[in-house]
Amino acid sequence: MNKYFQQALKGIKASPSRTFLTTLGIMIGIGTVILVLSAGEGFKSYINAQIDAFGSNTVIIETSVPPSTKDRSSGQSSSTANSSAVNAVPITTLKNRDVEDIKQLPNVKNAYGASIGQQIATYGNVSKNIFVFGADASRFDIDKGVIARGRPYTTEEDKSLSQVAVLGHDIAIDLFGDSDPLGKFVRIGNYNFEVIGVYERRGSFGFSNDDEQIFIPISTLQKKILGTDYLLYSVVELVDNNKADTTALDISDILRRNHYITNPAQDDFKVSTQAESLATFNTILQAITYLLIAIACISLVVGGVGVMNIMYVVVTERIGEIGLKKALGARHKDILYEFLIEAILLTLIGGVIGIIGGIFLSFIVSKIAQSFGLTWKLIVPISSIIISVSVSMIIGVVFGVFPARNAAKLNPIEALNKE
Amino acid sequence: MLIDLKDIVKDYDNGGIITHVLKGVNLSIDEGEFVAIMGPSGSGKSTLMHTIGFLDRPTSGEYFFDGQNTKDFDDDDLAHIRNERIGFVFQSFNLLPRTTVIDNVMLPLLYSNIKTGHRHKAKVALEAVGLGDRIDFMSNQISGGQKQRVAIARALVCNPKVLFADEPTGNLDSKSGSTVMSILEQLNKEGRTVILVTHDMNVALHAHRIVTIKDGEIISDKKVDAKDRIHSKIISD
Repeated sequence: MNKYFQQALKGIKASPSRTFLTTLGIMIGIGTVILVLSAGEGFKSYINAQIDAFGSNTVIIETSVPPSTKDRSSGQSSSTANSSAVNAVPITTLKNRDVEDIKQLPNVKNAYGASIGQQIATYGNVSKNIFVFGADASRFDIDKGVIARGRPYTTEEDKSLSQVAVLGHDIAIDLFGDSDPLGKFVRIGNYNFEVIGVYERRGSFGFSNDDEQIFIPISTLQKKILGTDYLLYSVVELVDNNKADTTALDISDILRRNHYITNPAQDDFKVSTQAESLATFNTILQAITYLLIAIACISLVVGGVGVMNIMYVVVTERIGEIGLKKALGARHKDILYEFLIEAILLTLIGGVIGIIGGIFLSFIVSKIAQSFGLTWKLIVPISSIIISVSVSMIIGVVFGVFPARNAAKLNPIEALNKE
Repeated sequence: MLIDLKDIVKDYDNGGIITHVLKGVNLSIDEGEFVAIMGPSGSGKSTLMHTIGFLDRPTSGEYFFDGQNTKDFDDDDLAHIRNERIGFVFQSFNLLPRTTVIDNVMLPLLYSNIKTGHRHKAKVALEAVGLGDRIDFMSNQISGGQKQRVAIARALVCNPKVLFADEPTGNLDSKSGSTVMSILEQLNKEGRTVILVTHDMNVALHAHRIVTIKDGEIISDKKVDAKDRIHSKIISD
């Protein structure tokens, strides 16, 4: 096998620039596969970090439009409930009382309800259109966000409708610049709020960016700003995450009882455990990954055809050499293997350069993501490298076998005479 | 008898037009002979050499090589014979470009059953043709005469019984040609069968027997008297 390898290597070394150009398609294809798989892993690491930051061992209750309310005419109940935040139908049934009831469950350690309002925040002559995030004081025990300066608000402040606020990292800088916001008053809607704390930088997560929000007690938000008494969602912290599924059922039972729902198809809420959210997320991520890999495969096929094309040219170029080798005793399979290995080497070189390029691009992506404050790890799955190397070799075999067979089938005399 | 051709016919089918290149050739060559095959271009002498050298198969007729009928040999068998029993020297040298002299000589060993000592064998063959000091030169860095001597070394490296030389001096000046011919003479003297294809009487007269072919048929087959033979000397370059 070594002798074929030597002959093949000689062929490749004969024209390095052509080798490079030939394998460009393979490089791009393999590089893309590596990048897609690595970016997928990086994104997963980011999502996991975000879910951790939300508080580990949590169950999330969202309001949701019952299927029949959303589309009465269709008459069919879709199995997936629709978030009321996405559909413009406000669901007003999730209340503070529900959260208090859920807290009584044995596997529930803590819980908070939350709502969001859009308001203008003003300090001095700086005004910003922001999201005001209202939550129970217990949020500070569950959420992993770190208050860099100052303190969180207390349950007492919540109950007494205190006008106190904890600022996200970015909004604090936007409103106050370099000066210390603690003790100063920021105007939100028609009320002045005392700044009692400022968060550390967290990075954005999906559509919401904690760094640009102002956090105030839920009662203050509901009564003084929104004029409502319902919650948008609730986060429940569990004692034992292994019992998350049964606890989720218990929570559903409480909510149905409180909301007078007898038919689970009419639920106006959705309880999702972390495992469920992760599973949903992973399904979506996998679908996107497969789609992108399918696109990368087009590049691989195009690259493979390029290799095949060049191998046909090479066979024609070396027709005299093939004739000579046959005259000197090379068998059909000797010539076949030489050209096949040359094709495999070509694609393998492209594959290796593609892997290096892909890792480099993944590194850049991770650096860019990190520069935006995201928790993004650079992960290059070993499986992606193994897959890439084997795929490029398979392409070499598939697209090299026809030119190589052509070469091997040459009649030595005809080949010699063509020289 | 080493080579025994019985009624060899070779036809070429060129898009329906059939050309009869060899029309029933009968020829026997013993081991150790030095034979020149002569004839004008288009006479079929090259086709005859290719057939004897297993580069091509006859359309009909029987070919016994070393007592074996070669009819049932498959392509791999023929490749094996070309590799171990036959050495070829071509008019245009046919060395691999961008390859060293010794790598060129080692090429047949690559396809042989000999697994070890390739470099040593190639070196010995190169020394035999007086190029022991050129082994690491690239094949395009040496003169035409040296190239043909490398080709002879390559033909010898597997220690074949028969050496075929197709117009070996055709692309050489007289000095280099003389050296190449004297090497072939020497190899024959050592007991190797040499079959030479040429249209040049001065080259053919190095051989001990001249077979003349015309229009695909042997028209004469004569021994060369010792007094008529031409002997060449190695002329150093």
